[in-house]
Amino acid sequence: MGTVESNVGLTSVKQKLKKEQRQLFFKRLISNKLMVTGGMTILFLMIVTLIGPFLVSHDPYEMVVQDRLQAPSAEHLLGTDEFGRDLLSRIIHGSKVTMGVGFSVAAITSLLGMIIGLYASYYRFLDHILMRICDGLMSIPAILLGIALMAALGPNTKNVIIALSIVFTPHVARVIRSAAIVVREQTYIEAMKAQGASTWRIIWGHMMPNTISPLVVQATFIFADAIITEAALSFLGAGVPAPDPSWGNILYDGKLVIFNAWWMTVFPGIMIVLSVLGLNLLGDGLRDLIDPHTNQGKK
Amino acid sequence: MPKQPLLEINELKTHFHTERGRVTAVDGVTFHVNEGEILGVVGESGCGKSVTSQSILRLFDEKRLAQYDGEIKLKGTNLLELSDEKMQSIRGNDIAMIFQDPLSSLNPVFTIGHQIAESILLHQNVSKKEAYEKAVEMLRLTGIPAPEKRVKEYPHELSGGMRQRVMIAIALSCEPQLLIADEPTTALDVTIQAQILDLIVEINKKLNMGVIFITHDLGVVAEICTRVVVMYLGQIVEEANVVDVFENPLHPYTRGLMKSVPQIDGDRSEKLHVIEGTVPALDNIPKGCRFATRCPFADELCVEKVPELREFKNGQKARCWHAEKIAEEDQEREDQYV
Repeated sequence: MGTVESNVGLTSVKQKLKKEQRQLFFKRLISNKLMVTGGMTILFLMIVTLIGPFLVSHDPYEMVVQDRLQAPSAEHLLGTDEFGRDLLSRIIHGSKVTMGVGFSVAAITSLLGMIIGLYASYYRFLDHILMRICDGLMSIPAILLGIALMAALGPNTKNVIIALSIVFTPHVARVIRSAAIVVREQTYIEAMKAQGASTWRIIWGHMMPNTISPLVVQATFIFADAIITEAALSFLGAGVPAPDPSWGNILYDGKLVIFNAWWMTVFPGIMIVLSVLGLNLLGDGLRDLIDPHTNQGKK
Repeated sequence: MPKQPLLEINELKTHFHTERGRVTAVDGVTFHVNEGEILGVVGESGCGKSVTSQSILRLFDEKRLAQYDGEIKLKGTNLLELSDEKMQSIRGNDIAMIFQDPLSSLNPVFTIGHQIAESILLHQNVSKKEAYEKAVEMLRLTGIPAPEKRVKEYPHELSGGMRQRVMIAIALSCEPQLLIADEPTTALDVTIQAQILDLIVEINKKLNMGVIFITHDLGVVAEICTRVVVMYLGQIVEEANVVDVFENPLHPYTRGLMKSVPQIDGDRSEKLHVIEGTVPALDNIPKGCRFATRCPFADELCVEKVPELREFKNGQKARCWHAEKIAEEDQEREDQYV
């Protein structure tokens, strides 16, 4: 009887503890001001990307030649470009392209990197082959490899995503591999094998969930890297082709008229800085949150 | 009528391919386990106990790392001849295993209910809900209080002893015929150790399941085992009933182990007995008797020629040239005391 009662007591204490833990976690989450700022920025940009295009009053492709290169005004909040297109709507539509490229690249590299990393960590012979390929890809600077791939594939948005995914997959694969190698040596993996689990189940059912947290952090950084690399590619003319707006090719257009129309370089520049900074702050914060070793120094 | 052995191991050899060449970690081990029997496997670190147990389940990577020779027969089927798929259906279902470290034997990202249910779903054709109900039932069987609530908890919320109970629940979830317990109590403190041992004995009786209990703790062996196999450097050096092993050990190594156990009522000023030296490395095995380098009885014969495992009275077996002499000496000493 006594044990039953004490068990009931124990569970209520445990529930309280769990609640406290949750509160503590939440507190830690918001105590990291930089991470919250980063997260809010990204959230804001996401909202702009998703619903902004429906709110802007001007068609981003509509050229009004008599309005070309107008400074910011009530009619054109951020001014117009050299073809008289409204800069605000071009930037907002451009965010769809830029954020879309960044997000797709983060998603594709996560998936591919996960597959490569997990199998490389489980099978030694695959490890040698896959990691040497990754080393090879990583030894070429991202921009150079991106330009080369774009030259080979031809310029369009889909190819930008493909090229950047190829560029960044090795980074994810490395991170996943190193996390998975640690997991693979744990007793619970051997115990699952002794319970009769198949290799597939061990890899996807037990190793994969243990690599999710480093993956989330890495994916955030890849997102930021992809945005900046896409902008760089577009700036160099090897990215998203005109007339589709992306922050990078708006910058490219603005470069020619930088002394006459500062708004064409400043505003897309600010957007790139904001998104990349936001993602990096978010990624740093997430890393600190997940890795207890870096926590203590912060507070 | 002699019982049919549940598991028969004949001349099992496990070789590993290492950077220093091929190493034989288990070298010609032969023993059997009967139904409903607890067999103790004893020996110091590095003697091949764990390798033997993991070889039974063929847990080593056979493509690159390990190679098995001999026979492992479970009720007549040789496990070493089975395909990988067949072997997978035996693991967990017919033979289950508990590991030494309960703290790392459970996956931290899943609830314990999920993990027990998963093992059930691996081998039995039941719905997820039924598997969960069975998981609760298994936890209750292992004596975990309030199992309905515990199934929803994560491993880090449980103590070491609780986690070992969960491991036992997982191992028993498919009602295996044979349970291999690889030092299941080594990482636990003494009171919890006793509870886990009681649990294993209770389940062994209830389910009439064969148990291979691997340990280096002779006290535990005396407590729960019916028969004992003593291993040294990948070989069996002595095999006997638990009483014979403790009353008249025939192999000098077994005697050394017995003497190394501290006596609670003994003279405390007396130094604890130590078996001199360490286990030789596997790539540097002595030519004759493997224990000769550390044996107080060793002579030229021992250094030159490998002794066979010979049978004595009561089915006691020992791998020693001087077993008779040792037994006689023991007898004389006892006579003196009387």
